[in-house]
Amino acid sequence: MLKKFDIKTSYNEIVDITESVKETVQESGIQDGLCIIYNPHSTAGVTTFSPWDPDGFLDLDDEIRRLVPTRIDFKHQHDTPQDAAGHVKSSLFGVNEIFIVADGELLIGGSQNIYFLEFDGPRSRSYYVKVSAD
Amino acid sequence: MSKVKFDNPMSRQVYSLPELIEDQYEDLEPKARKVLSFEEIFNIQKIVITGAGDSLAAGEATKQVFEQLTGIPTEVVKVIDLARFYPKNQLGTDSQNPLIISVSNSGSGARVSEAVQRAKKHGAYILGVTGNLESDLGEYSDKVLELDIPDFESAPGTRSYVVSLIALLLLAIRFGEVRGNYTMDQAMDYRYDIKNQGENLRKVLDLINEQAIQVSKEWNDLPYFEFIGAGPDYASAWFGHAKFLEANGKISTHINSEEWFHINFFARDVENIGTFVFASEDNEAMSRNKELIHYNNIMGRPLVIFTNGTSETFDNEEGIYIQVPSAKYGFNNVLTNIAPICLIASYIAELNDEEYGRGTKGKWEFADNGFGVKTSTIEIL
Repeated sequence: MLKKFDIKTSYNEIVDITESVKETVQESGIQDGLCIIYNPHSTAGVTTFSPWDPDGFLDLDDEIRRLVPTRIDFKHQHDTPQDAAGHVKSSLFGVNEIFIVADGELLIGGSQNIYFLEFDGPRSRSYYVKVSAD
Repeated sequence: MSKVKFDNPMSRQVYSLPELIEDQYEDLEPKARKVLSFEEIFNIQKIVITGAGDSLAAGEATKQVFEQLTGIPTEVVKVIDLARFYPKNQLGTDSQNPLIISVSNSGSGARVSEAVQRAKKHGAYILGVTGNLESDLGEYSDKVLELDIPDFESAPGTRSYVVSLIALLLLAIRFGEVRGNYTMDQAMDYRYDIKNQGENLRKVLDLINEQAIQVSKEWNDLPYFEFIGAGPDYASAWFGHAKFLEANGKISTHINSEEWFHINFFARDVENIGTFVFASEDNEAMSRNKELIHYNNIMGRPLVIFTNGTSETFDNEEGIYIQVPSAKYGFNNVLTNIAPICLIASYIAELNDEEYGRGTKGKWEFADNGFGVKTSTIEIL
């Protein structure tokens, strides 16, 4: 089963997509297998992160910016500095996550949610959820 | 008078504009994207656009959009002012500032050469917008946005003006995009709106042409013409007066919508002053334009209004309304609102058997091959 989701993001937004993934797994009816979340963009990422402390997201955002600050000396000058930084961030974080499906449910930790990371924005974005049986 | 066909090199230039806008967009979009680096764009603290003739009008037409999109203070300075009067200590204020955008397709004007040499000497950073890399403008510029305008029949420059506008609009959009003032998607929407003005003009050009022929027939014998507008529309008015002088030699004046009330409305012989008002629907001076049109009618001046609105926009004031294309973003209207005045200028020339530029014969002979512009004492102050 493959399902596409369309979202609209704001500037550097961290979008919680956990429920959409869990619901897709349940809709698939698959009891045991794998679930892949894939983001087809070059200036966005996918990751897992703890949802409990809202300030944690500020830390995540701070560290992403610290690791890859938006600078004017990128060699990729076709678009914008933010775009050039976004490409690097996307590559570092990756554009997919893989989870185990067990007993018809997404196997995911209690302190783990799944997030779409916007490294540009506002943009019209999409992501895919693929559920496959063993 | 020879048989008038309402078909001449200048009108054919106008009819070539839709394709030109689309093709030149494709040529200039990648060039405008790459001509300055991120570092150079972030370094800009002040922009000075300079030029002479149509190029100066192109600067006036885009001054507001530079400020609106980039947030950078922007001046439009005549080349002789930049060359002889602009304070030295305002050239080279900081590293690579101000950014001087010097527009000249030929790049060969003596005063343009003088202005960029002086600006460079005192430390300004020069971005030349020219089709002639071998010219002084090409030589003295730090960076060049190269124009590549296909050859066409010789006529008062309409195509080169529109291409200069496209180049400047694309630079403004690019500067704002890189500086993060809006998203890349928004920037592309601004850009596509430039290209779409080609198709927008194509759709209405025949209707505009019919009206232009009618106005030309009715106003052919008028001795005086006045061109009025405010903001970017004033640049179109200025351009209109220039095309009249070049194409048909009629005495033409230009003034902005406010100054008209202070000065030019005093002129006598009102019924013989053909008055052209450029008034886009979203022009910030619309209320003043409405007052202008109202009192113009009270005085009995013949009136044509170029607008993307309708007569209702102007409370159904009397006048000949020529509807020009409406861009999604108002700042792109300047690309096409000059089409009808170029047609009218050309048809009045045709009706009067008038050679463009007086054929540079007789009293105008000294100006042959641009002599008056190209040959002038250069002083680097």
